[in-house]
Amino acid sequence: MCKYLNIFRVNPCGSLATLLILALLGIPGSVTAQTTATDQLSGKLVITGASTLAPLIAEIGKRFESLYVKVRVDVQTGGSSRGVADARQGLADIGMVSRAMKDDEKDLHAFPVARDGVGIILHKQNPVQALTDEQVVAIYTGKITNWKDVGGKDAPMTVVNKAEGRSTLEVFLHYFKIKNTDVKAQVVIGDNEQGVKTVAGNRHAIGYVSIGTAEYDESQGVPIKLLSVGGVTASTETVRNGTFPISRPLHIITRTPPVGLAKAFIDYAQSKAVHDIITQQYFVPLAD
Amino acid sequence: MAETLSRSQNPREWLAFALVWGSAALVTATFCWLLGDIVWHGLSHVSWTFLTAPPENAGRRGGIGPILVSTSLILGVCLAVSLPIGIGTAVLLAEFTSDQSLFGRMTRRSLDVLAGVPSIVFGLFGNAFFCKTLGLGFSILSGGLTLACMVLPILIRSTEEGFRAVPASYRLSAAALGLSRTTTLVHLLLPAAVPGLLVGLVLGVGRAIAETAALIFTSGYVDRMPESLLDSGRALSIHIFDLSMNVSGGDANAYASTLVLVIMLLAINGTASWLATYGLHRKVVTV
Repeated sequence: MCKYLNIFRVNPCGSLATLLILALLGIPGSVTAQTTATDQLSGKLVITGASTLAPLIAEIGKRFESLYVKVRVDVQTGGSSRGVADARQGLADIGMVSRAMKDDEKDLHAFPVARDGVGIILHKQNPVQALTDEQVVAIYTGKITNWKDVGGKDAPMTVVNKAEGRSTLEVFLHYFKIKNTDVKAQVVIGDNEQGVKTVAGNRHAIGYVSIGTAEYDESQGVPIKLLSVGGVTASTETVRNGTFPISRPLHIITRTPPVGLAKAFIDYAQSKAVHDIITQQYFVPLAD
Repeated sequence: MAETLSRSQNPREWLAFALVWGSAALVTATFCWLLGDIVWHGLSHVSWTFLTAPPENAGRRGGIGPILVSTSLILGVCLAVSLPIGIGTAVLLAEFTSDQSLFGRMTRRSLDVLAGVPSIVFGLFGNAFFCKTLGLGFSILSGGLTLACMVLPILIRSTEEGFRAVPASYRLSAAALGLSRTTTLVHLLLPAAVPGLLVGLVLGVGRAIAETAALIFTSGYVDRMPESLLDSGRALSIHIFDLSMNVSGGDANAYASTLVLVIMLLAINGTASWLATYGLHRKVVTV
């Protein structure tokens, strides 16, 4: 119903009709009250950046559109670097950055919406149960190249690294204090799901991906396992309570202090109303 | 019998025989495996609802309705722009430019270079030129125009070959009959060159419909039902890429979408070859 109404963007019906539709859709009273105050909101928001965040923000955008019928939220993907560049140049109203903000990005206004942990994954049949931080560093810098050196079978390791510009890469390197030029990788990949597939398809592979993604795939029977880091189990729960050491905040950013539509959207994306969407996309909502 | 005997007696002959059949079998088997895998995993998810419903939960649930519409619109824009320009250029190259002329050689060379350019380069060009310079933004129009740029070299070159394949006697006879060049072109050469055009079209459409890199920066990622050509719209190939590489748990719908893409491609190729055999070829025969 609502989708078809979206077609009539220049909605001739007044706010009464809007209210009626919202009431029909069963949107709780409190939200409706808030809507009447701001139902002048209209226009298009362009959001670009991290591919990790794109599905989440797109889903939040859809729910936002259903609240404000005259609003369009267009989400484009391309990576955190692009989110920063587009927000700076004004090509996007809001940028998406799937990591902590850097020192030279202090000119931008950043708003955390969720957290994501980065976990190390092995093939399920790999007998290795845990790796120390030193062993991980040695593996990724090419000092250990055979699984038997860390208690596994006599087999060469396949080291899976992320491509330059990916936030998971930066988070991973930052925690283990490795320079990307020192990494000796056999496979370089892009998105998380690609990392999971690479490790699931190679018994001697080691990789690192978003914990939410890995946890979901593991529950679906994909043959991978998450290793604990520093004695802490890798799970969305330990990411949420802050005990898991390798995690990253997911930000949406603007160049100038947000006003109007952008502010409404950012407030909404940070509100409790979207926690179910965040969980649905295998990320961790921020603590209240 | 004698032939089989000589083949078995001559090991070189036998090797060549095995090699040729082996390669053919390998190619066919790869295709069958690929198609079988897609059908096996995808068929159970394809339904009328899947084809018409909008995607939900980042594409894990719901269908691909708006994505099919966007894909068709992008392809429509691409063909509407590339077909007239493509045929025009091919006519100029084949009928009005001599093989040896500098202009002809330069044009052909640059088209061949363009045909080999990786699609991501077209994507970045499209993003810089159509989206930013021309101010079309992330839109179906930008995506379709970028694809047109990508498809044009293939289309022009194979249409040109189509024209060159028409025997010179056709042109001479037409001239002897006192037909004007335009009449000859429209009624004689164009229908006769249709097979070449269709080959180019099938190759071009195949390349366009499977394109991801050139579209992600031009037509974009938005999976809402497009309201105009200036809206951003997600193409089927981008949807498949996102579901399989970026969205965990999107595999089932990725397979189903792939199946739809393959069926679309087969349907387009089928229509093209049907047109070549029955639709347009007959016209030449009756002329």
